[in-house]
Amino acid sequence: MTKLGNIAVEVADLAKNYGAVRALKSINLQIGSGEYFVLLGPSGGGKTTLLRLIGGFIRPSGGTIRLHGQDVSELPPNARPTSMVFQSFALFPHMTVAGNVGYGLRLRKLPAREIQSRVDDMLEMVGLAGFGERMPHELSGGQQQRVQLARSLVLETDILLLDEPLAALDAKLRKDMCIELKRLQEKVGITFIHVTHNQEEAMTVADDLAIIASGELVEVGKSVDLYENPVHRFTADFIGENNIFDGRVSSVDGDHVNVDIGFGTVAVGARGQQVAVGSEVSISVRSELLHTIAGEDSREDASEILPGVHRETVYLGLTTSELITLPNGNEVLSRRISDGTDVANISSGSAVSVGWRKQDGRLHIA
Amino acid sequence: MNDDYSSIWSYRLKWLYTLLVVATLMLPVFYVMYISFNENGFGAADYDFTLEWYSGIFTDTLMLASLKNTALLSAVTIVIVVPMGVIAAKLYKSTRYQLAIVSLMLSPLFVPSDILGSALLVFFKNLNASFTVFGEWIGIDWFDTWFELGYFSAIIGLIVYTLPYVFVVVLITMARYREQQTEAARSCGATAWQAFWHVEFPQIRAGVFSSCAFTVILTFNEYTRTSLLKGGFDTFTSVLVSQMLNEGMSEQSYAMSSMVSYIAISIIGSVIIYTLIRSERLEREARAKAEPVMAI
Repeated sequence: MTKLGNIAVEVADLAKNYGAVRALKSINLQIGSGEYFVLLGPSGGGKTTLLRLIGGFIRPSGGTIRLHGQDVSELPPNARPTSMVFQSFALFPHMTVAGNVGYGLRLRKLPAREIQSRVDDMLEMVGLAGFGERMPHELSGGQQQRVQLARSLVLETDILLLDEPLAALDAKLRKDMCIELKRLQEKVGITFIHVTHNQEEAMTVADDLAIIASGELVEVGKSVDLYENPVHRFTADFIGENNIFDGRVSSVDGDHVNVDIGFGTVAVGARGQQVAVGSEVSISVRSELLHTIAGEDSREDASEILPGVHRETVYLGLTTSELITLPNGNEVLSRRISDGTDVANISSGSAVSVGWRKQDGRLHIA
Repeated sequence: MNDDYSSIWSYRLKWLYTLLVVATLMLPVFYVMYISFNENGFGAADYDFTLEWYSGIFTDTLMLASLKNTALLSAVTIVIVVPMGVIAAKLYKSTRYQLAIVSLMLSPLFVPSDILGSALLVFFKNLNASFTVFGEWIGIDWFDTWFELGYFSAIIGLIVYTLPYVFVVVLITMARYREQQTEAARSCGATAWQAFWHVEFPQIRAGVFSSCAFTVILTFNEYTRTSLLKGGFDTFTSVLVSQMLNEGMSEQSYAMSSMVSYIAISIIGSVIIYTLIRSERLEREARAKAEPVMAI
């Protein structure tokens, strides 16, 4: 849980069942006011369900939802201090852009002049000044998404919910919109809760991340913490390109744990976790910290070394990846910054080793 | 004219076939219009143009009364059946039990009109008798005429008849509507009714109005059920059929039928022309506004 002075959203034991299917299993989460909070996880994991519960679009099967301390569990969407941006644009096709953006203000029966002024200001903020008289079908995907943002932000609600807002955009546009969303959130200062399955998108915008999978809250933390020091095996497997070694604890040596992975023993820092000899654990190593050692090369700083067979070198421009097969048949990935002269230096099928520093391994007991 | 490799003659033949089908469908209507201007009436060897029968419309009290009754039935039926159809269509879209809903809504279509009419006749007779006996038992006569055959029973019969059609027409229009727009409206602060009225209804309006028009047409066209359930008053169709069976249709009947056709064709034709002109204007405006999409 995040610990901030001002909590915007607090869910306690929140659950949602569809018959026998438990879409969400007793989630406890706090989101601070003014944060850009991302719910990240695989498709079907429950993150959109959680978002829609917060927004009031579905009724919880159990638990409570508090927004700024007020229990809103029984309130419909229009009675909550939230607004929402949807994945598939959801603009009103029979209204102009100005009509869309001003819809919520017209519901509040504000004077027409004030509505016009606020709509114009908001369109300018999202970079669509002068687009007021256009119809939604005349806009590009990115423009439509900006109109949705404007329609939500103009209401000046405390919490903005974004349900995979960039999923329908192409990769380049998605990257640009990520920056744009972050900029807008910093400018308006309200709480954004953003659902996505794209980890690059999540890492770009998030102040804090929650990993949701199989209806459970797996882990919560800062992007950098989840990337560099994930606690749970699932997090390590989901975020970044990590190599996972499953095994059993063979011995515990002070702060370090020796793990038998079947064809060798590797040491890893315990990181304050209590483990028993014989218990099943996992070790993860980021692919950029796992080095390929070929021929007479050596890595003095690599204390944990495993044998393998080189399969393939993949050149991706900025990085070059080496795929190595271990004796147990599993594949590991070693990544490095391309050095400009890179070609397949290591021939496929040749015997190599992979190595990493002990402190670069992360122990996971769950 | 065509952008692919198909033959131009194939294109022309398709158009010709379409026009022939339309002409075939409209031929009886045009023939009735033709007869309505003949002073000598239907089947006469000589044709003498006259407007006498049209002026006779406004003095034919039986015909006018029947037209008024039918118009009243259609107006009341529209007010009841169209909201019912819209609600049923929304329920269909939101429920898991879609098969049950659609089976229930379309079931009247699978019952022949005379059987449905007879069943409703027996139903109302029994209902009326039951309430009369009940009224006698408790010592009041309020219920005596509640379920007698008349406007009420005729309207019920028309609702049962037209509801499946309204349901289907509205559902087809609703198929294009995305529920996320309702959710977007709710997140803007709209109540459920506001979201429907401001966002959903404008997009299904064409279907709703089509179902209203369809209800009018079905009501004017309906004979069997209404004849069994209407009691003593006349409807437009029942007068025409009665005349045909007994003494042959009066010349005013042809004039009245033609008048109804003129009105229907004018309305539909105007709507089509207006729609074509408007869509062309919107296309021109869109082309004028279009610019290359370079930036987000």
